[in-house]
Amino acid sequence: MDNIQIAIIGAGPAGISAALELKKLGYSDLIIFEREDEAGGTPRHCGHLGFGMFEFKRVLSGPNYAKKLSKLASQNGINIQLKSTLTKIEDGVLTFSTPNGIKQYKPTCTLLALGARETPRSDRLVSGTRSPDIITTGALQRFTYLQEIKPFDKAVVIGSEIVSFSALMSAKHAGIKIAAIIEEKSEIDSFCVIKYLVKYLLNIPVITNAKLKNINGEDKKVSSVTIFKDGKEEDIACDGVIFTGKFIPESSIMQKSFKDFNLNNYSLNVTQNFQTNSESFFVAGNALRGALAAFRCYFEGKKVAKNIHDYIRFKHQSQIIEISADENISWYYPSLLDLKSPIKKHLTTLRLKNRAKGVIKILLNGRVVSIKRVHALPFLSINIPWKDIELKVDDKIRLEFVKD
Amino acid sequence: MEHIDLNNLFPTKTSNFGTNEVFDVAVVGAGVVGTAIFKEFCEQGAKTVLIERANDILEGASKGNSAILHTGYDAPPDTLEHECIQRGYTEYMKIKDEMNLPFLNTKALVVAWNDEQLEKLDAILKKGLGNGVKELETLSHKQVLKREPNLCLDAKGAVLVHGESLIDPWSAPLAYLKKGIACGGKTAFSHEVKAGHYDGKYWELETSQKPIKAKVVINAAGLYGDIVDAIKGTKDFKIIPRKGQFVIFDETAYNLINSIILPVPTKRTKGVVITKTAFGNILVGPTAEDQESRTDSQTLRETLEDLKTKAFYMLPALRNHRVTATFAGLRPASDETYDRVSINEDKNWITAGGIRSTGLTASLGLAKHIFELHNTKYEKNPKADEKITVPNISEFAPRDNQKEGYGKIICHCECVTEREIKNACHGESGAGNIGGLKRRTRAMMGRCQGFNCEAAITKICEDEIKNHG
Ligand SMILES: Cc1cc2nc3c(=O)[nH]c(=O)nc-3n(C[C@H](O)[C@H](O)[C@H](O)COP(=O)(O)OP(=O)(O)OC[C@H]3O[C@@H](n4cnc5c(N)ncnc54)[C@H](O)[C@@H]3O)c2cc1C
Ligand SMILES: Cc1cc2nc3c(=O)[nH]c(=O)nc-3n(C[C@H](O)[C@H](O)[C@H](O)COP(=O)(O)OP(=O)(O)OC[C@H]3O[C@@H](n4cnc5c(N)ncnc54)[C@H](O)[C@@H]3O)c2cc1C
Repeated sequence: MDNIQIAIIGAGPAGISAALELKKLGYSDLIIFEREDEAGGTPRHCGHLGFGMFEFKRVLSGPNYAKKLSKLASQNGINIQLKSTLTKIEDGVLTFSTPNGIKQYKPTCTLLALGARETPRSDRLVSGTRSPDIITTGALQRFTYLQEIKPFDKAVVIGSEIVSFSALMSAKHAGIKIAAIIEEKSEIDSFCVIKYLVKYLLNIPVITNAKLKNINGEDKKVSSVTIFKDGKEEDIACDGVIFTGKFIPESSIMQKSFKDFNLNNYSLNVTQNFQTNSESFFVAGNALRGALAAFRCYFEGKKVAKNIHDYIRFKHQSQIIEISADENISWYYPSLLDLKSPIKKHLTTLRLKNRAKGVIKILLNGRVVSIKRVHALPFLSINIPWKDIELKVDDKIRLEFVKD
Repeated sequence: MEHIDLNNLFPTKTSNFGTNEVFDVAVVGAGVVGTAIFKEFCEQGAKTVLIERANDILEGASKGNSAILHTGYDAPPDTLEHECIQRGYTEYMKIKDEMNLPFLNTKALVVAWNDEQLEKLDAILKKGLGNGVKELETLSHKQVLKREPNLCLDAKGAVLVHGESLIDPWSAPLAYLKKGIACGGKTAFSHEVKAGHYDGKYWELETSQKPIKAKVVINAAGLYGDIVDAIKGTKDFKIIPRKGQFVIFDETAYNLINSIILPVPTKRTKGVVITKTAFGNILVGPTAEDQESRTDSQTLRETLEDLKTKAFYMLPALRNHRVTATFAGLRPASDETYDRVSINEDKNWITAGGIRSTGLTASLGLAKHIFELHNTKYEKNPKADEKITVPNISEFAPRDNQKEGYGKIICHCECVTEREIKNACHGESGAGNIGGLKRRTRAMMGRCQGFNCEAAITKICEDEIKNHG
């Protein structure tokens, strides 16, 4: 077993930017572990444009963005161990499966930047037949951009989060026709203007208020989907189904290894420093709460690097209070407050599950200490600054959303 | 861009014997029952062919089950089923190490959730003892919760069945197939038996590919058992497929239970089983729904929701875990009795049909029983003692990713390696379709359901098939 100072798991935007920043801060005993055989993370297979505007001031495709990150890492002499899968965390020891055998490390500090995945059909309990032609956007992108394979001719897209437009672009690239976009909610899960672009520019119907009832087909082949809208059932012919969005952090290993798991975020609880209750572990990027744009993960990586730097330098005793949230809140950050942290200005960032008007309340021991009126969109983050209030151990903080 | 039909990624298998070849025995159906019979007859020295309509084994009832190795504590006493379950269990224990097959003795708790069920525990215990299952005991509410601290406090008591265990439902039949082949047995995949003619000495079976000639036919056609059986001239039973839907939870839930949690069967309620799986998940199910279709294994949202609700009641902490997979299996249930095992000596036809809900356990015992029914002396195959193994894909023993030189991990959720995928693509006993690849490796069966790996796996398979024919 090797002792190292810093282990970063995941060579995506969050992991690489954290490593670059730590390098700048003078750390060299640092390894990034990545399970794929290439660095860059999820953008590697997002073959369309839409990356790099804020961090590199250029519009890049996902793969070029991933290459850029990877190049920066190697130019700065960052050690990236590819094909290294973190399989276990126990007593501060990380176990990796590698083609050269099992490897173990005991780092002073670990950053989990594992990214996220889309919710597949199974976890949505969708009725119907099973088929390899029922996939997610991520899988579609890997088929079309990485392997140059067109798995089907005509698909239905389920969900209308921003990522579903990634699915449209990937489908277009492969010459796959999209029969329709199906959305359960009454409005699409991204800016309404996109709906009109899709409808009028791409000529793809966007069907809202529609429930996916069944995936039809026999012998592992998809023949159509049945949707339920306005009290009526309708079949849409297709030979593929693409489930999009509903991102979940790649957090099984966290849930298995740590007690302090947050079910809103589906990730570990973290403080305003991105630090977990197991103090040497930090979490950043999509691993913290599902999908953000790549640049946000990139900047979060930088931020967490500074916090890791502080942790290693000062090792201050933390004093933690927990923040809970109700079920309207899809994710929030931070979910812990460290009273001893140098970061004293409190800011809560959160998203709601559904479009809604109402107020978000921050309650301290049941008493409202902050209130914000919102017209929430599920794909936009809401920032709520706190009034200056004294907090002490054993305080209980809760976030609630009350609909008008 | 190249369009690849994911359902036809693997080439159609052909047989490697000529039309004038004459077999002692033709086994129709490569489910767990057919493969076990194939193994037994090949080992005993009979010249045997295994005929299967699909391009792979386990495409029927044997595709999806609970993977419990049963003791027979609740089997109908003194029936063939009872006998075969116990014989099958014993046989499995004899071969498992040699064939590298996993086994985990988790034990089972038959849990009573109300007073009505509690009253039944005594009878369950008595029946079990009567069935020759010695290691049984009744547990109080307190003892149940000591063994299973995560169970709902409503658990009133239970019968602890020591012998109930978990196995890998796919590797066992694969091992049987490989053993049969190693002993010189022939296979004919993608050969659907359509009709047959008996000339008083030989059967000539008409198939979707070429005709196959054999002295004896053994019908192990599972869900099509009645249709195949009619070829012999009489219709003795009817298969009524019984669907069982399942919900599989992520590996994060694996440690919530220690034992298999079984329901007390009552007239009013059809309980569900909660168990660990050999692949490190938690399984909840199955339902029991009679249906006409022999192929429809669709799942239904309402049913899956109901399974979840029932499981969350029994094991509240399961709520905090994600669903990895949902699927359904079809039991080859028949009208009236449990199994339809018989011999028609005039026609040299043996029926091994209607093996409804314990076939995974019973198969090896049933195979022995059928060989006895067949009552013919052969010279024992010299290769019968040869050691045949299958790769371990269970969590109960080291997996390929723990051994060096595997290339890279392709399916991250289930830790499946490039080497495993490539190996599964090859040979007579290799995968015949994507489902077969999944069952041989676990690839794409994890929480992301192919988000990360489906495309890469498709590519690897395509290349392997191209390069190795
Ligand atoms: C289909 C799709 C389209 C998108 N389009 C855009 C877009 O147009 N613009 C945009 O800004 N953003 C887009 N995004 C979002 C963007 O890709 C992510 O926000 C960003 O990649 C997240 O960065 P990350 O570093 O947190 O995680 P990731 O980029 O996902 O990186 C995580 C890394 O961790 C590795 N890893 C995980 N587990 C382990 C383990 N156990 N051991 C070792 N390594 C591990 C993974 O292999 C991966 O490389 C898109 C995302 C998707 C899925
Ligand atoms: C939900 C569920 C849960 C279960 N749980 C357990 C358990 O925990 N433990 C246990 O021991 N058992 C269990 N079982 C029972 C077990 O799975 C079955 O008893 C067993 O799979 C039956 O196998 P079989 O070989 O008879 O049938 P099948 O698997 O259906 O095999 C028959 C084969 O014959 C082929 N075939 C059909 N017609 C033709 C033709 N004309 N020509 C050529 N080939 C043909 C089919 O393609 C098929 O491959 C369960 C079953 C289900 C459905």
